[in-house]
Amino acid sequence: MNASAASLPHGHADDHGHGHHGPVLQYQPGLPLTRGKLIMWLFLSTEIMFFAALLGSYVVLRFGAAVWPKPHHVHLSEPIGAFNTFVLICSSVTIVLALEMARANKPRLAKLWMVATLLLGTLFLGVKGYEYQAKFSHGIYPWSPRSRVFEKPDLYYGSAVRARLGEPAMIDRLKELDDTPEDKLTPDEVSARRRLKQVRQMVLSPDQQPFDLAVVADQVMPLPAEGTDSHGGAGGHGSHGLNDTFPWLKLPAVIPGGNMWASTYFFLTGFHAIHVLVGLIVFAILLLYNLGPKRAGMIENAGLYWHFVDLVWIFLFPLLYLF
Amino acid sequence: MSDHDSQAHGPITRPGDIPEHDDGHGPHGENDHGHGGIGKYMLVFLALCGLTTLSFFTYSPYWPWRNEPQVGWAFMMAVSCTKAMLVVVFFMHVFWEANWKYVLTIPAAMMAIFLAIMLIPDIGLRNRMVAQERALHMARPSDVRLLEQAAESKLLADPVAH
Repeated sequence: MNASAASLPHGHADDHGHGHHGPVLQYQPGLPLTRGKLIMWLFLSTEIMFFAALLGSYVVLRFGAAVWPKPHHVHLSEPIGAFNTFVLICSSVTIVLALEMARANKPRLAKLWMVATLLLGTLFLGVKGYEYQAKFSHGIYPWSPRSRVFEKPDLYYGSAVRARLGEPAMIDRLKELDDTPEDKLTPDEVSARRRLKQVRQMVLSPDQQPFDLAVVADQVMPLPAEGTDSHGGAGGHGSHGLNDTFPWLKLPAVIPGGNMWASTYFFLTGFHAIHVLVGLIVFAILLLYNLGPKRAGMIENAGLYWHFVDLVWIFLFPLLYLF
Repeated sequence: MSDHDSQAHGPITRPGDIPEHDDGHGPHGENDHGHGGIGKYMLVFLALCGLTTLSFFTYSPYWPWRNEPQVGWAFMMAVSCTKAMLVVVFFMHVFWEANWKYVLTIPAAMMAIFLAIMLIPDIGLRNRMVAQERALHMARPSDVRLLEQAAESKLLADPVAH
């Protein structure tokens, strides 16, 4: 106590003058910033390590893998990723503007920019959901019971295709398809039906060669070749795999390195999406207040968090979509 | 830290000298209105958009180093670091903060880098030596070639191609 009083920069002379009040202790914060901001920055420094571990794992896994799928092999669309990057950058600007308006005592404008941020964040999540849907529709899931991705066209793949084709419901469906007159099918479907018949024979054939399974895999879900990778976006419109023509088929597909890719992709983007969601909840709560200068501190802290979320995406976008 | 600084940052120095209620501007509140400038933010925004376009350029057919992906990777990482710096320095106001910024960010950044480096021996190099059983089941470049050959073979190609 004495030591604190003695350490006062101005205190020693004045203390005698106001002796009856007792010593007045000066609060000297360790870091010259408000508590809220200090805690937010401490939290962000833990977040830096959290995402660095995730991103570091991804980089190390990706470059340590014998095979890693190209973005188009896993139905990633670069333009959609770039669009989402743009959306997040815009939302970073709108939250900064909300802060500036709050500081300038323009609560209505602050609220408007805050709503814009909320909408942009929601748009980001919506686009992300659409992208997830494109993965799910191609059987790419981060875990095995649902995932239909096989690493290579080996015997295990062949038996999985056989098992799928042998399911009772599938047998009925295939019979229905076989019995459909040709004029009721599109030319694409007629061709796919013919190829599917051959695939069924190849899979069941006792003297199948390893190459046959690669042909089966190519028929089920072809991997775009190197030169043609500028086509075939998330919708898979450009590809003519059996799974695309008959979505109910849901045959196992081969994407070399696809399982590790799916694990890292969903882990990274999933944690990022959770962070976006938390940010949106914070913004929604902030909208309940009058966003004047008194709330500028809160907006600043929410903004710091939001910029960090943007920051993570700045690295995620090239690493996942363009590498 | 100078006396002047401590006066500015310490909320209470003596009775009667109690500052107004902290309005949340933080200790550097008096400078806050000076550094913002919406024009500056717009400039940063344009720079960020330009940089995103630049990294997207590596995906376009006009990118000259399509056969050397390492060039594109290095380029994209440089672009990403620049974007990250712009966001941190201007949008997160670090440019205008006092020196505490180094106390919080440098150790965290070092930990982050060490964390990633420490993953290399066990995880990054895990495919240098693998058990035979694992080698049998993991995807290898030969599998990709096999699939490419299957695609080129047109074994089941349509006889009446349209």
